[in-house]
Amino acid sequence: MKRLLLSGLFLAGLLWALFSFRGLATQGTYDSIILDFREDLGAAQVEQQVQGFAQQFGATPRFNSAFSTDDHVFVVKGDRALLRALLKSPLSRYTEIIEPNYQYSTQLLPNDPDYGKQWNLRSINIEPAWDSTRGDGTVVAVIDTGITRVPDLELTGFVEGYDFVNDRVEATDDNGHGTHVAGTIAQSTNNGKGVAGIAHGANLMPLKVLNANGSGTVADIAEAVKFAADNGAHIINMSLGGGGESQLLQKAIEYAHQKGVLVVAAAGNEGRNAVSYPARYRHVVGVAALDPAGSKTPYSNYGAGIDLSAPGGLKNGDDPAGGILQNTIDPARPGTDIYASLEGTSMAAPHVAGVAALVRASGVTDPDQIEQVLKESAIAIQDDARNYYGAGKLDAAAAVKLAEKGQITFRDFFNWLRENGYLNPRFWIDGGVTALVPKIAMVLGSYILAWFLRNYFPFSWSWSLSAGLVAGSAGLFPLKGFYLFDAPQLPFRLLGSSIPELGSALQGTTLLNPIFASVLIPFGLILLLLGHAQWKWFAIGTALGTAACLGVSAAIAPALLWLGSGSLAQSFLAVNAVLCFALAALAAKPEVRHP
Amino acid sequence: MNQIQVTGTVDRKGFGTGTWVLVASSGETYELYEPAAELQKKGLKVKVSGTVREDVMTLAMVGPVLQVAHYEVLEA
Repeated sequence: MKRLLLSGLFLAGLLWALFSFRGLATQGTYDSIILDFREDLGAAQVEQQVQGFAQQFGATPRFNSAFSTDDHVFVVKGDRALLRALLKSPLSRYTEIIEPNYQYSTQLLPNDPDYGKQWNLRSINIEPAWDSTRGDGTVVAVIDTGITRVPDLELTGFVEGYDFVNDRVEATDDNGHGTHVAGTIAQSTNNGKGVAGIAHGANLMPLKVLNANGSGTVADIAEAVKFAADNGAHIINMSLGGGGESQLLQKAIEYAHQKGVLVVAAAGNEGRNAVSYPARYRHVVGVAALDPAGSKTPYSNYGAGIDLSAPGGLKNGDDPAGGILQNTIDPARPGTDIYASLEGTSMAAPHVAGVAALVRASGVTDPDQIEQVLKESAIAIQDDARNYYGAGKLDAAAAVKLAEKGQITFRDFFNWLRENGYLNPRFWIDGGVTALVPKIAMVLGSYILAWFLRNYFPFSWSWSLSAGLVAGSAGLFPLKGFYLFDAPQLPFRLLGSSIPELGSALQGTTLLNPIFASVLIPFGLILLLLGHAQWKWFAIGTALGTAACLGVSAAIAPALLWLGSGSLAQSFLAVNAVLCFALAALAAKPEVRHP
Repeated sequence: MNQIQVTGTVDRKGFGTGTWVLVASSGETYELYEPAAELQKKGLKVKVSGTVREDVMTLAMVGPVLQVAHYEVLEA
């Protein structure tokens, strides 16, 4: 009975899977049908069938190309109804194939004449993303100086916004900044005019909070965030910042987050280790700015609060080439528009907001999940000890691809901790800063070395030995990704580093410094501490730990300052690892023990 | 409010659509909040007193927003 039930369930599952599998073909579009007549028919017979077809269906099949004559391949204009009728008609007896002539689309290369100058769009890998979505159906609120419908926003959708500066419904721009930011998000694209925008199928909600001079009050900004959340915005872009911590704004952001709105903000342009408000608040995606080469711009803020990095541009004097080019108003001449090349983290944030709209249009609607998709799909930067880049560089194509998978797993444990308030929001953890597997290998490796040594020279485990093993192998490595707002990160980097990594921690790189990553420090420590009954074991522990760290580094990632990452670096690390172990063995030998 | 006195040089920063700043002799950059026409001059050395507006945000994001109450031009 049980077996029958199980077989029944299995069969039902199989049938369900078969029927719900739509295949790839049903998703294609076509407006013509292929008719491939049998090869054994003569030209006259084919001609006869074609003429009969024309009379019966009112459309004339044509050769697909000059090469189709011998194969008898014809193409005829028609839709699904004609296809069905053809399959049932007597004609099917004379044909080998009757099938839809599917259209294969190639990537969108917009016809906007200045698209070629938009290095920033290519650097976020936008073209493959456009194959899947243009952001249709999403609403992006731009909290800024307002948006004026300049000529290259002609096809862009707008929803009603509000002007909080002048208290009126119409929220046009009198500065030029807001319209430029809006252009990056949704400039009309493939309209034969000007430049392109990232999510040009999305709708813009203009919210004016900054006056013509580019400043505005926190009260207006908080109200605008609430307005966006209450009026159907899915994503909010805030290319603004400054001021102090404001509970009002923080509450408005929490409110928007609860209503399912993703908030994106610029990191600020002071070039220092202190991200501006509102980018540093919880539930706000803080965006740092990249230059055309993909490096952090000198002006971009960094450190705690940076979640992602995106193109912000870097101009060389008046040369517009390095900036972000969009259509905006000419503040000097009211009523006219210009294509302005601007730079700043203000320009970086709307890249993230635009790609967020693409991700949302791909079916991921929860703001936390959108953020997760953006971070997981970003191009991670390995050498980022100061958190210049957050999770990495924005990648539109990878984000859309990941979003289309539809299933987002919250793999980032630290992020989960933060979201659930287990960690005080005043500090910030970059879970991706250390690769976990090599660290665990280093700690385990050092213990294995100690165990190995103990077989020859029996000694007892002690806290000093353990401390030495940890200090030598991996350090308190979770601390490496620990950032306290506005505080220098160096102390955490030092505590989070093992002895061989100290040199790199001081310099803020991930390359090992050969002076520190060698037998030198363990040797010094053993010389210094050999006379002490307990601390001696700490020194031995550091030697073993360093041996494990250098050994694992030699095997996995032999990257050394000055020596490169080739076989030279590898042999340097391996030799020093062996020396460290030999040193530990020498020091642990009972005969050497000091009286 | 946060009353301060700053001596420094007026400059124009190009972020976004541009803004007027005061680079203090200490190195700190202040964004000038709606500065008087006379202060809108690159290279002007001034001594100003005013308040840091914690309740104001800007598109330039180059430093604390300083609303000037009094100023004295030291060197044009």
